[in-house]
Amino acid sequence: MAHIPDGFLSAPVIAATAAVSAASLAVAVQRSRRTLEEREAPILGAATAFVFAAQMLNFPLGAGTSAHLLGGVLVAVLVGPWSGMLVLFAVLLVQALLFQDGGIAALGANTLNVAVIGGGVGFVLYCWVLGLTGDGSRRRMVAAGLAAFASTTLVGVAVAGELALSDTVPLVPALAAVGGGHLLVGVGEGVLTGAILALVARSRPGLIAAHGTAERGLQPWAYVVLLTSAGLAVAAAYIASARPDALEATLRGLGVSDSATSYLQSPLAGYAAPIGGAWIAAIVGVLVVFLVIWTFVRFGAKRRVSS
Amino acid sequence: MSFHHLDQYATTASPITRATPTARVVGTVTLACGAALLPLGAWIPLLALFTLVVFIAAVAHLPARAIIARMSGPFVFVLVASAGLLFLVPGNAVGRIGPVTISDAGLERFGFVLGRATVALGAAVVLVSTTTFPQLLGAFRQLRLPVVVTTSLALAYRLVYLLVDEMERLQRAAKSRNAGGGNASRRRLLIGVTAAGLARAFARGERTHRAMLARGYQGEVVALESLRWDALQGVLVAGLVVVVLATVLFAHVAP
Repeated sequence: MAHIPDGFLSAPVIAATAAVSAASLAVAVQRSRRTLEEREAPILGAATAFVFAAQMLNFPLGAGTSAHLLGGVLVAVLVGPWSGMLVLFAVLLVQALLFQDGGIAALGANTLNVAVIGGGVGFVLYCWVLGLTGDGSRRRMVAAGLAAFASTTLVGVAVAGELALSDTVPLVPALAAVGGGHLLVGVGEGVLTGAILALVARSRPGLIAAHGTAERGLQPWAYVVLLTSAGLAVAAAYIASARPDALEATLRGLGVSDSATSYLQSPLAGYAAPIGGAWIAAIVGVLVVFLVIWTFVRFGAKRRVSS
Repeated sequence: MSFHHLDQYATTASPITRATPTARVVGTVTLACGAALLPLGAWIPLLALFTLVVFIAAVAHLPARAIIARMSGPFVFVLVASAGLLFLVPGNAVGRIGPVTISDAGLERFGFVLGRATVALGAAVVLVSTTTFPQLLGAFRQLRLPVVVTTSLALAYRLVYLLVDEMERLQRAAKSRNAGGGNASRRRLLIGVTAAGLARAFARGERTHRAMLARGYQGEVVALESLRWDALQGVLVAGLVVVVLATVLFAHVAP
């Protein structure tokens, strides 16, 4: 439900998200004027047409379900983050007015979710991953895939937050239903984004090389952000609430939590380490996640860009 | 592929189609925002806005069957999306479906969300049924949307039919070479088709740009038809805005 229909959001949320989106788009227009030459307007038209067409193709996910590409990070990597936000806004505008896919009053919220968070924040994450791993052809594909996954998940969290702030659904079930759904969709979005960029890189490498290359000076900042995030994650484990999380609370509310079955006994079950408690469990968790991602990107994508 | 079937009522003579597209866009946005701004449980103001949409559709000479047909697809999506409200919103139990309990608050919220969405969908369907895409673009320009957005949309409108046709052809060709494949092979096929579509879209965009430059393009697509407001249209749109605002205010003030 990245495209929120009309009727789900309250007046303050509609006004606030519209204001944030309008400000973001105004900045995007200004910044894209600096970077965008006249010749690139037809390319943005092509990108807009592509997003329309690509969103009509449903990819089978298995178990009788399917999903379509959202394309936020893909477009941002191809045409740049500011122009990408404008392309995504153009798509959302026409989808709302012409196809009734997403609400007219909810256009501000949908722009914030899909264009600003999905495209803009997704591009920041893409640059961050590239900053950590260094530039390279395959690394760009993997970084784009990871950024697409993370930004889609963030879109889900944002939608859940907006629904909760509108008092439509309580936050916990909204996070479980919408956030959890986007977590799964994000996996597909990440795989699709990486795979499509890999194929495009073979036939039109210039399209990807032109935008979104990691700057060398970015690497120290990427590590600073990483260490800050790790510190926050560890601190969060210490101050975390002992109450059930979104999914657990929803399952309890539905009365089906008793059917949960554990097939594997983990040494860190319930975020508690045998020695040191939650602190050690949080540090181990953060380190494992970082090592998995870093190893995946660093060694799974060794080839460097020839340019 | 063509979207011309969407425009079949845009040429019907009516007061709505005679109004400038900008007035139609403003009216639609007003009605959709008005419905969205109604507080939960304001059923009478919601009914008033719904009646207003039905009245405008009747003035536009739109057949009820066409409106219902166009609304049905998005409405089913809204129905599915809002079904969760029935049991996710806490309240007193009023019934059960399998293992889940439906609450009274959830039932009210579900009904009201559907009502608000119906008003907004109805207004949007009246707009798209009476307005062609080029007219819509003209309205966006008159409403001072950024040039880069309107230009992108104008060019996307030119390219999207060709691109969808091309992607369908690619899909057919790939399917015929890949008959009987499972989900994994279908995914690979669709990824290949999408990537090829993307590369072709950009190549076509670059060719279009060169052709446009040769014809004197200077950064903005020029519309041949200029949109003009007259005093009567201005008064009618202002009247609609006042009625919707009064309805919303009444809903918030009335006990």
